[in-house]
Amino acid sequence: MKQYKENHPTNKSVAVTSEDGNQSSNEIAGADQNILNLLDYMDNYLILVDSVSSSVRQGWLELASARYSMGASRVNSSLFDLKSHYASTTLQVDNGGTDTELPCFTLCKWTSSDEAKLEEDQLLKNKSDSLGSEKRKAEESGSPVTANNHAEKERFKSLSMFGTLVSPKLRATQSTFETTLETLVEMSNLRASLLCAYDQVQKDRETD
Amino acid sequence: MANKPQIRTNSSAIMAMIADEDTITGFLLAGVGNVDLRRKTNYLIVDSKTTVKQIEEAFKEFTSREDIAIVLISQYVANMIRFLVDSYNKPIPAILEIPSKDHPYDPAHDSVLSRVKYLFSAESVAGDRR
Repeated sequence: MKQYKENHPTNKSVAVTSEDGNQSSNEIAGADQNILNLLDYMDNYLILVDSVSSSVRQGWLELASARYSMGASRVNSSLFDLKSHYASTTLQVDNGGTDTELPCFTLCKWTSSDEAKLEEDQLLKNKSDSLGSEKRKAEESGSPVTANNHAEKERFKSLSMFGTLVSPKLRATQSTFETTLETLVEMSNLRASLLCAYDQVQKDRETD
Repeated sequence: MANKPQIRTNSSAIMAMIADEDTITGFLLAGVGNVDLRRKTNYLIVDSKTTVKQIEEAFKEFTSREDIAIVLISQYVANMIRFLVDSYNKPIPAILEIPSKDHPYDPAHDSVLSRVKYLFSAESVAGDRR
């Protein structure tokens, strides 16, 4: 009889045990998922680092070629623009709403927020408002071309610190490092996710 | 006209760099160079004459500025101030370690990856068991 009771506990204790069992198995599943997420993020981070390594390596080779064709005196740090100017390529950081704590980085390439540029834009906007709807439509239809022209102007401005006529290899270097920037921004976003997953796994370990 | 403030959103930011000359040249060509009114740049070129103190000061300055969202640092430079980089825990600015020409990237030294590695290491597990 006693042995029967030991092997077949009462219904109440079975129910309590199964609830506890479900809760603990859910917790374990959650913890395992956090660990899997962490490992996934780490794997993706390493892939992006590898991508950055290969693109900067290509950039260095192209820069070395440009330096070889243009001369070392024409491509060096003494020619960097030290006059006050704002970066053409910036970042938009979204710190997230109340539901998420992860920051989100977005790359904004070749945007200029120099004061003169802003004032010029403001003047242009005022002019276009006063002209009328037909002209406004024509200007709007031309806006993608204007954006491309602006990006080209900013690219030229960056290159111009090394002179007006530059080697095609220097342009290639610029393009390669632009691509590297995109990968770096992806890495930043992944780093934020990785750190969040790391904190989760640490919390799970502490509660265990 | 000169007194008009710049129209800038709160979330707009720039990148900072602590690396060798060629890496910084490349990124400046990509348009990330910034020089403020006090002629302070958002980059530090590290060469044989750069001292560890200069690197430390640049790192502290870049990580405390509100307008910097990402700090790129060559891994060999980060190794010189490893204690400072590893103790940095804020989400913004993000610290990204990148390779340099003479020093390839080593994941074992990366600040973030080494933390994860320690999490799964035998020492860490043994510490928990005690």
